[in-house]
Amino acid sequence: MNLAGIFWIFFRAGLAFGGGLGILAVLEKDVVTRRRLVTRDEFLTVYALGRIVPTGTMMAVAVAIGHRLGGFAGTLAALLGLILPAFVSTVALTAAYRQLQDTRGFALLSVTLLPAALSLVVAAAVNLARSAIDRRPEMALAVAALIASLFFHLNPAIVLLLSGVGSALLLGPSTSS
Amino acid sequence: MTLGQLVGLILLFNAMTFGNGPVMIPLLRDSLVSGRGVLTTDELLYAFTVARITPGPANSYVASIGYMLFGLPGAVLCALAVMVPGYLMLPLQYGYGLLRSARAVSGFTRGLIGASVGLIFAASVEMARGSLTTPGSWIVFVVAVVAATVLRWSTVLVLLVPSAIGLALSAFL
Repeated sequence: MNLAGIFWIFFRAGLAFGGGLGILAVLEKDVVTRRRLVTRDEFLTVYALGRIVPTGTMMAVAVAIGHRLGGFAGTLAALLGLILPAFVSTVALTAAYRQLQDTRGFALLSVTLLPAALSLVVAAAVNLARSAIDRRPEMALAVAALIASLFFHLNPAIVLLLSGVGSALLLGPSTSS
Repeated sequence: MTLGQLVGLILLFNAMTFGNGPVMIPLLRDSLVSGRGVLTTDELLYAFTVARITPGPANSYVASIGYMLFGLPGAVLCALAVMVPGYLMLPLQYGYGLLRSARAVSGFTRGLIGASVGLIFAASVEMARGSLTTPGSWIVFVVAVVAATVLRWSTVLVLLVPSAIGLALSAFL
């Protein structure tokens, strides 16, 4: 597949709202259902592996599918297409923040958009907790991490590493998923 | 703090976290807001909000942070820093058969996921302390949490409806 084609597929996926899952939905429809470039099993395997890679899952998916369709150059086309809509709009709105900082409208942000945005962080945590709710070890680790961070001010990186190494030694693969 | 240090921090935090969106927020808050004091809580939340209301990957908030601290070069390098680790997929795909059966690898991943959930809750509490300072902001926050978790509204509605309520409240109070 040519590079412009790969770029175009990922550019349209990058225009999707709703973060990773929004992008995944568009990509699945385009790459699997419509064009049949990869099989559904292959697509799901790539997504699962993407979740293991320490970065945004969609970045990892873009590298894998870009490589599959167009080699190394394909990965560059896929990543560029995926990030471009987000990058341009994010930078534009951040530049506007600087302009807004001195105006009266800025004062209103702290009673409108910013508390509403905080709810999205909470919702993400709730959704993650829901997906792990039938697995007791994960829930116990979540509570332990919350206490360690909130009450003992332990560095988050240390909390993550302790939890990971501890689980590697004590837990096996999940039985419920 | 130099641009090189910021990119180094993002690469490091990226390597320690799994998944999309807010997983790096606890680490960034700890380092940039509480630690070095180069960003305010409101700026971090704004960066996060912008990444959420714009299309595309939710971790584009690093581009916003890069722009706030170092302008356009900062935005470009920070965005690159969250893209490059995606290349770990290529060796990972080859070693997949081996990895899938390794007990320790899946255990490690489970531990990270569990701790990530707790850390995101903890970061929310810390951010609420810094950001929810007026009754109006608390009302907006509670309405938005209900809309996002119980009613499961779309992201745009979760941001817009409570914001409109906040705007109306600030006009009357």
